[in-house]
Amino acid sequence: MSITIYPLASLSQIEKTPSREDGIPPELEEDLRAYGCKLIHEAGILLKQKQVAVATAQILFHRFWYVTSMKQFGIGDIGMGALYLASKLEECPIRMRELINVYDLLLQRASHTTGSTSSAQQYSDFKYVPMSYFGSTFYDLKDALVVAEMQILKRLGFNVHVVLPYGTLVNYLRVLGLTSREDVCTRAWGYLNDALQTPVYALYPVPTIVSAAIMLTTRHLGISLPSSPENRWWELFDAEWEDVWSVCGYIMRLYRERDAEDQKRLWGTAETLNARGRTAADI
Amino acid sequence: MNYVQVEKLGEGTYATVYKGRSRATNEIVALKEIHLDAEEGTPSTAIREISLMKELKHVNIVRLYDVIHTETKLVLIFEYCDRDLKKYMDLNGDRGALDPVTVRSFMYQLLKGTAFCHENRVLHRDLKPQNLLINRKGELKLGDFGLARAFGVPVNTFSNEVVTLWYRAPDVLMGSRTYSTSIDIWSCGCIFAEMISGVPIFRGRDNQDQLLHIMRIVGTPDERTLRKIATEGQIDPANANKQYPRYPKIPFSQVLPKASPQALDLLERLLQFDPSKRITAAEALSHPYFTGSIPFGLPGPVPGSMGPPAYNYPHPHSHQQQQMQHQQQQQQAQAQAHAAYVQAQGGMMHPQHGQTSAFAAQQDPVRLAQAQQAQAQAQAQAQAQAQAQAHAQAQAMAMAQAQAQAQGQGQPMMGYAPPYPQQYATGGR
Ligand SMILES: Nc1ncnc2c1ncn2[C@@H]1O[C@H](COP(=O)(O)OP(=O)(O)O)[C@@H](O)[C@H]1O
Ligand SMILES: [Mg+2]
Repeated sequence: MSITIYPLASLSQIEKTPSREDGIPPELEEDLRAYGCKLIHEAGILLKQKQVAVATAQILFHRFWYVTSMKQFGIGDIGMGALYLASKLEECPIRMRELINVYDLLLQRASHTTGSTSSAQQYSDFKYVPMSYFGSTFYDLKDALVVAEMQILKRLGFNVHVVLPYGTLVNYLRVLGLTSREDVCTRAWGYLNDALQTPVYALYPVPTIVSAAIMLTTRHLGISLPSSPENRWWELFDAEWEDVWSVCGYIMRLYRERDAEDQKRLWGTAETLNARGRTAADI
Repeated sequence: MNYVQVEKLGEGTYATVYKGRSRATNEIVALKEIHLDAEEGTPSTAIREISLMKELKHVNIVRLYDVIHTETKLVLIFEYCDRDLKKYMDLNGDRGALDPVTVRSFMYQLLKGTAFCHENRVLHRDLKPQNLLINRKGELKLGDFGLARAFGVPVNTFSNEVVTLWYRAPDVLMGSRTYSTSIDIWSCGCIFAEMISGVPIFRGRDNQDQLLHIMRIVGTPDERTLRKIATEGQIDPANANKQYPRYPKIPFSQVLPKASPQALDLLERLLQFDPSKRITAAEALSHPYFTGSIPFGLPGPVPGSMGPPAYNYPHPHSHQQQQMQHQQQQQQAQAQAHAAYVQAQGGMMHPQHGQTSAFAAQQDPVRLAQAQQAQAQAQAQAQAQAQAQAHAQAQAMAMAQAQAQAQGQGQPMMGYAPPYPQQYATGGR
């Protein structure tokens, strides 16, 4: 036993996620996960929150959807709850009111954006309407936040320990003799960050994810590493080829081009699911 | 709920603890009730305590059985202990002071539990008599992990508002932000002294006063040491250049005239002002105070003075085994005396290690098996820890590098701004 072991989703949880069981198509779930993580990231920036807390929140967020359906809770609420919880875990707590205001702003902006046509217009005429200090919106959001935090804890069985990948990356780059290549370090680092929008941190051990980031980086930059059957660099890090490849796939899917219709559909679903989740929320 | 409240056991800083009985099994447990606050959601103390204690299974750590979550409160179901060490000292001590045999037994168990936490990369951060629990078998268990946290990754950004003042390490009082396992070791030293004398050794009114209390006994370190502590602890420059009165060191033998030379030697190593000089819990466990053959500096053989209690750790260290050969005869005589003493004490004390495993096995094979398992685990963990340390160093460098990168060229290339969906990658910053 060790509390440093972090929980990963089981095979059956991966094959049949609660959302899929509830009839949500896998691609939509993937998009909603990415979108929820983006909101967490944006909120983190606006709140000037530490990167470790933001990353921890995103990983908890992904874990949550292996135990709960997106029809039951909204990605906005759970994202907010995850960031609130992660901030406590990392000993840099944030104030409820600030977090709620930030989420309110982000959701208003998103809602505005999907209604407009050109992206220039999207930002130019967006005006944030702050919620009234004693209005019911604030109290509704606050209740939703408290419920979300508790549900994350409860459904994850308080398994909230998270291991971030950055140290491992530097370790591996050193082993591979790549630390002097700034472009390699930066790009691999970027892939690790982007991977936070995908479920991989809830699915694979850190060495596999880091290997995938290195794989994508070296392929992109045309750097060759030992890959002959008797000398495969990823085996040095106990990573399996299929797993590394699968993580690469998750990351690359983030960069697909989407058309406006896709975006609208995504936001529309997110909004309805969030509203539905709020009313259905049980304690 | 499946438990009935029997009586109130204690009130801590954020929870009320009741004695409870299981409706199903009649088992007696401790129920720690934590109220949920609409202003802050689930208290971080509860989150820490549950997430860490769920995994920490050891005879010297109070076992968390279950958690009940309701709308208004969280109830943590713990293994029941009769009282905390503070109450134990008030009730059983001579004006609070415990007899040397008990002190040694408790100290050994305290260090065992602490070592186990540290092997598992958990800092307790709030060790004090009120948070140590004693059951009727005389077992001591670490409780109240409300301030504990996992470490492993650079121990850097911890808040320094931890550990009750009197048991707080001087480096933390000076504002250190990089403290580690040494913080718990200081508290162990304070508790050791308190068990011997019956009163807390350093009783400051506030942060600064606490630091002066410490310096008046252990002496003010020289400038170089103070500067080193400030640098290593990444102490805010505003606090780092404070001037302190220059107190000479008072020998612990004057402060605690009752203590044996070996006890004093261990205390000295626990209460090192400089955190890097403090002994580790694992090292302390093989200190001659626990392993040595010289009785407590009291006239005549003292029952139970031969070694740590064997009941939970029946395998003596290898050097103890050697000593045992020399000491066997002496020990047998003492063992008899001890056995009588144990009976007289109503089972409060434990067979000493001179009697070794056979004795323990006869008494309780299950416990022996558990203990063996625990020890094997501990060894595996020690190895894992060594690896982890190497890893942590690399991570520290990684962090430094990341910072350098971030400063040097702004955002990492892709950072958080992949091309999809584009509207979230821009604007609003
Ligand atoms: N398992 C237990 N068995 C018996 N008494 C306990 C137990 N746990 C706690 N207590 C009593 O309750 C007090 C408060 O518990 P503690 O866990 O320290 O709460 P807090 O975090 O609020 O300080 C302790 O000092 C002790 O006297
Ligand atoms: Mg307490």
